[in-house]
Amino acid sequence: MTSASDPVLDLRGGGTGSLAARRAVMRWAWRLFRREWRQQLLVLALIVVVVGAIFVAAAVATNNPTPNNLGFGTASDLASYQGAVPHLSTKVAALEHRFGRIQVIEDETLAIPGSVDTYQLRAESSHGPFSTPMLSLVAGRYPTGPGEVALTEGVASALNVHIEQLWSEGATQRRVVGIVEDPLDTLDAFALVVPGQVRNPTEVDLLFDAPGVDPSTIGPNVAHVSSVALGAANPETIILLVAVIGMLLVALIAAGGFTVLAQRRLRSLGMLSSIGATEKQVRAVVRTNGAVVGVAGALLGALLGLIVWLIYRPALETSSFHVIGTFALPWDVIGPAMGLAVVAAYVAARRPARIVAKVPIVAALSGRPVEPKRVHRSAIPGVVLLVVSFVLLGYSTAGNNAKPHVPLLVGGLVALVSGVVLLAPFFLSLAASVGRHAPIATRLALRDLARYRARSGPALAATSISVMIAVIIAVAASARYGNVLDYTGPNLASNQIVVYAPPPAGTQLFSPTGSSTAPKPPPMEVLNERVHEIAEALGAISAIELEQTNANLSHAGPGRNWNGPIYVATHGLLKAFGIASSQVDPSADILSMRPGLSGISKMQLTWSPPSGLPDGKVPNHKSPHSNPNSCGNGCLWNPKIEELSQLPSGASAPNTVFTEHAVHALGLQTSLAGWFISTVHPPTAAQIRNAQLDASKVWGMSIETKNSAPSGMEVIDLATLAGIVLALAILAMSVGLIRGETAGDLRTLAATGASSTTRRTITAATAGALGFLGALLGTVAGYIGVIGWIRSNSLNGGISALGNVPLANLLAILVAMPLAAAVVAWLLAGRQPPVIARQPIE
Amino acid sequence: MSLLELHQVSKTYGAGPSEVHAVADIDLEVDRGSLIAIMGPSGSGKSTLLTISGSLEEPTSGEVLIDGDSLQKMSRNDKARLRRRTIGYVFQEFNLLAGLTALENVSLPLELDGVSAKKARLAGIAVLEDLGLADRATRYPDQLSGGERQRVAIARAVIGGRHLLLADEPSGALDQANGEAVMRMLLSACKKGVAAVVVTHDAQLASWADRVVFLRDGRIVDQTVPPPSAESLVQNVPQP
Amino acid sequence: MSVKHALLGLLSEQPKYGHQLRQEFEVKTGDVWPLNVGQVYTTLQRLERDGLVESDEADSEGPQKWFRITAAGEQELARWLMTPTDLTVPPRNELVIKVLVALDIPGVDERKLLQIHRRYLVELMQQWTRLKDDEGQYDFRLALVVDAELFRLDSVIRWLDAVDGRLKREAPALRAASAELPILRRRLAVRK
Repeated sequence: MTSASDPVLDLRGGGTGSLAARRAVMRWAWRLFRREWRQQLLVLALIVVVVGAIFVAAAVATNNPTPNNLGFGTASDLASYQGAVPHLSTKVAALEHRFGRIQVIEDETLAIPGSVDTYQLRAESSHGPFSTPMLSLVAGRYPTGPGEVALTEGVASALNVHIEQLWSEGATQRRVVGIVEDPLDTLDAFALVVPGQVRNPTEVDLLFDAPGVDPSTIGPNVAHVSSVALGAANPETIILLVAVIGMLLVALIAAGGFTVLAQRRLRSLGMLSSIGATEKQVRAVVRTNGAVVGVAGALLGALLGLIVWLIYRPALETSSFHVIGTFALPWDVIGPAMGLAVVAAYVAARRPARIVAKVPIVAALSGRPVEPKRVHRSAIPGVVLLVVSFVLLGYSTAGNNAKPHVPLLVGGLVALVSGVVLLAPFFLSLAASVGRHAPIATRLALRDLARYRARSGPALAATSISVMIAVIIAVAASARYGNVLDYTGPNLASNQIVVYAPPPAGTQLFSPTGSSTAPKPPPMEVLNERVHEIAEALGAISAIELEQTNANLSHAGPGRNWNGPIYVATHGLLKAFGIASSQVDPSADILSMRPGLSGISKMQLTWSPPSGLPDGKVPNHKSPHSNPNSCGNGCLWNPKIEELSQLPSGASAPNTVFTEHAVHALGLQTSLAGWFISTVHPPTAAQIRNAQLDASKVWGMSIETKNSAPSGMEVIDLATLAGIVLALAILAMSVGLIRGETAGDLRTLAATGASSTTRRTITAATAGALGFLGALLGTVAGYIGVIGWIRSNSLNGGISALGNVPLANLLAILVAMPLAAAVVAWLLAGRQPPVIARQPIE
Repeated sequence: MSLLELHQVSKTYGAGPSEVHAVADIDLEVDRGSLIAIMGPSGSGKSTLLTISGSLEEPTSGEVLIDGDSLQKMSRNDKARLRRRTIGYVFQEFNLLAGLTALENVSLPLELDGVSAKKARLAGIAVLEDLGLADRATRYPDQLSGGERQRVAIARAVIGGRHLLLADEPSGALDQANGEAVMRMLLSACKKGVAAVVVTHDAQLASWADRVVFLRDGRIVDQTVPPPSAESLVQNVPQP
Repeated sequence: MSVKHALLGLLSEQPKYGHQLRQEFEVKTGDVWPLNVGQVYTTLQRLERDGLVESDEADSEGPQKWFRITAAGEQELARWLMTPTDLTVPPRNELVIKVLVALDIPGVDERKLLQIHRRYLVELMQQWTRLKDDEGQYDFRLALVVDAELFRLDSVIRWLDAVDGRLKREAPALRAASAELPILRRRLAVRK
């Protein structure tokens, strides 16, 4: 028998902390995973799906928006001139002297013969210092001399020329040598020539680098490339935030899964202890298994995400109109997300590891562990955290500030989530004590939930968190969309179009490249004809003239300010919306469909009064309430507002209008703003494009159609639905875990004559109870969060803004969701659980 | 000095009216090289006696000494070390860890102690060869027969110079021939200096021991005396 | 103990001398049951009288006499081998009687009685097992015989355990009940 006295082998070990011992433990953990990966499929699949989803979402979110260096290439600054630039070479030399390298791009707008479409004749060096990202060769080669040109695909086909053919533009003949495109904007249509070939440029851009210099000091037409904003609006940050929340939910569910797994391995772990493994080594086995699951899940998830991305990328390129590199992936989001997955799985395995290592060895070996010590979980830490969160969230958005104090906001959210996680076990024991008088099947289900907290607690926490997020979004959205001043929502209905008239002559126009004044618009007949054409093409039933005034409405109190155009209630407009003159209060100044607007105080109307009027007098206004409301020349307090629901609700539609009475009484000036067109059927995309082209024939005329902004109701419903679906998914995974392992009582029940109905009842009660408790805790926490955030946030209206309770949605969450969970559980619980009943370890 | 000593060891579960005395006032001494069998009906406390001797459970009162060291004074980690280096435990079934080969199972206690994998494997091979199982070294437990699994378990119990072997019904799940093979293996281990305590309800298996201790209701009620030499037996055979 | 059938078995191999038969019998039964020479010849005589065996025409009764099995003998041998031994009547078992007697004697510690016998039996078994370990590895027939003995002793121990169990569960009630029952006399037997 080999013994310590064996002269050949020195068998003194380096101790349990040594590398050899660690490797032995890890080896067994890895072998267990390899053998039993099917039992961990649930958690593994969850991590794979979440990591894959984050991968794809991050890739899409970062690549979908228009590249911020469109027009700039690699330059940081751009000086843009309209039309030919006098003394261009001098200016170029001056800038070159000051900033070093400079590149000139000249564009001349040309029309495609026989069409309204235009393209640019572009003089741009194909090897310039800054333009590399904006030029790529599709076929052939770049032009190298005066007689050569390269076209974009669209231009080439429109002009019906191919490579090696001659192309005449005006008097010039050039040979087409290649097909090019602008990777940053694949819609860009241009003909590329070498620099110096454009004689009458429409626009000249100078690209250069001026780091640290304020562009306005260089010139009025200089712009700096907009940097990718760090902060809340950046899609990468949002995705990362979603990743953190997602991994938290994953960790909670995985905790339950690992508990079940450790329970199944209890005997082997006891055996390990009996041959001399320390508690630490036993814990290490379970934790290593967690880490392995995390790593495997992260790698497989990234692979899945990559495959989906590779499939979807071409479609995204087409829909976003710029070239997207195959591997242009935001690794600074994906990397941390993968790391988070590993961390989440490892952390989720820690508590089950501790629990199973503490089971007495003899009990573990026999598979009959002792009754868990009744730990009295106090509710106090959880409640304290909720209070802390309430306070922090309030301080994060105090006052009229739109920008939140980010650390306090994050701290408040973290405290909120932690509070929910800590309170979840307490809620479970509440459930058990409430259910003491329920019939036996329900009582058993509730008692099991309360007893085996290590798996039902995290499940409840996860369900609550998903409900909480939905409630926060729904309630906050309801407060925001309920604000009638800063009106937000869809701009128009799908069958409504607004055509905007060109601005009056002399209006100041501001653009990133400088300011100018508007030219004189064409006469009314021309405009009317154009509108008539547009309306006909769209199959419109009416085109109402929209008149605007020179008056501004504002809210002088705390909170948000007025937003949106106010038109005039002409006779035609009122008729078009079916408003009889008898419905209009003769003393009303403003008509609006915005609900509750009439009750808002501290509204102020200001305008520049027509010249020649005596000060202080509001002419022709006999009604008594106006004089005390006057706040001086061209100013009126609390104009009388009448609510009429027949007015359209779109943000760009005439939802609020001045009465003719107000126009006359206050001496307001009116001018043509545009036309409001309603069609029978919503116009097709082709019709809209044609209308846009029609409008563009007149300088300054533009069209607005329904955008994709969701209405308040849509946001609230979507959030509710998402929260419910997520909660149901969590419940589905958790109830299976919980019921599968505690079937011992079912055997007893079956022996006394209970049937599959009992099994179904218990499972349904478990699902329904978990669902309801999760909905309750989530709703309470969600309201605490929103109230905490909004209470001192006067911008969003404070607590009174929460008056609009989205009742139907809350009922769906609190009642329909648990019912649905119970019903589905009832239906699916008929089959025998395949797992043989064991006593759970906690 | 005996290898294993129990002084007035008792173990009680529960309290008050539901109190159960698993074992009471046990005095036992086991010397090196001896094979002791503990016989008794089920519920007599045999398994509890073994788990207490093996440091897997703590007695309610009394003292357990292994190599002269009291178990009471040891921390959990000390006891774990004892199980790695001194005590080998063999259960009736499910001794081996699935996912590890027979060799890896056998060398696991050494590896847990920090011995390098290479050295531990060499020691493991040596033990398996001693017990005639070298050709099974790379098989996984589910590829071994019941008897082979028990013998691998015994190999693991004696590796690294462990000299107190505690076996709870080691042949319980085996047939006659395999059961005998297991007892023979234990006996040969004892001949090399191991002290073995075997719990069994089977008299035929107990008869392999040098001394049989009878347990009833948690107490030792009797012990066999060491047998006379084998020859004397043959004279006593009744005439046909 | 059917020595005569054993001798028939030995002779069915080939004709043998008398003394040869004695030796072979002992060897082939693992040397556990020594056989008396006189017993051998008496049995042979009976076999010859019954026509199952025939001997040489040599007149001497000495050890040189040949014995041979007859056709009738072969038949008888075959019948004996394949017919189950009659075990219908339980043998008069001293231990069983002891226990039954002890039950009615007040002041007797039945459990102690059982344990004394149990220990004795285990000690016997220990010795038998030692024998099997030492020599049974080489002597297959000895191992068979020892196994038989071990199983026998084991079965007795098991019966003792069963008695223990019954006593534990039913003793006081049993005593009281059997004291009042009228004594029924009947013969218990199993069907042959």
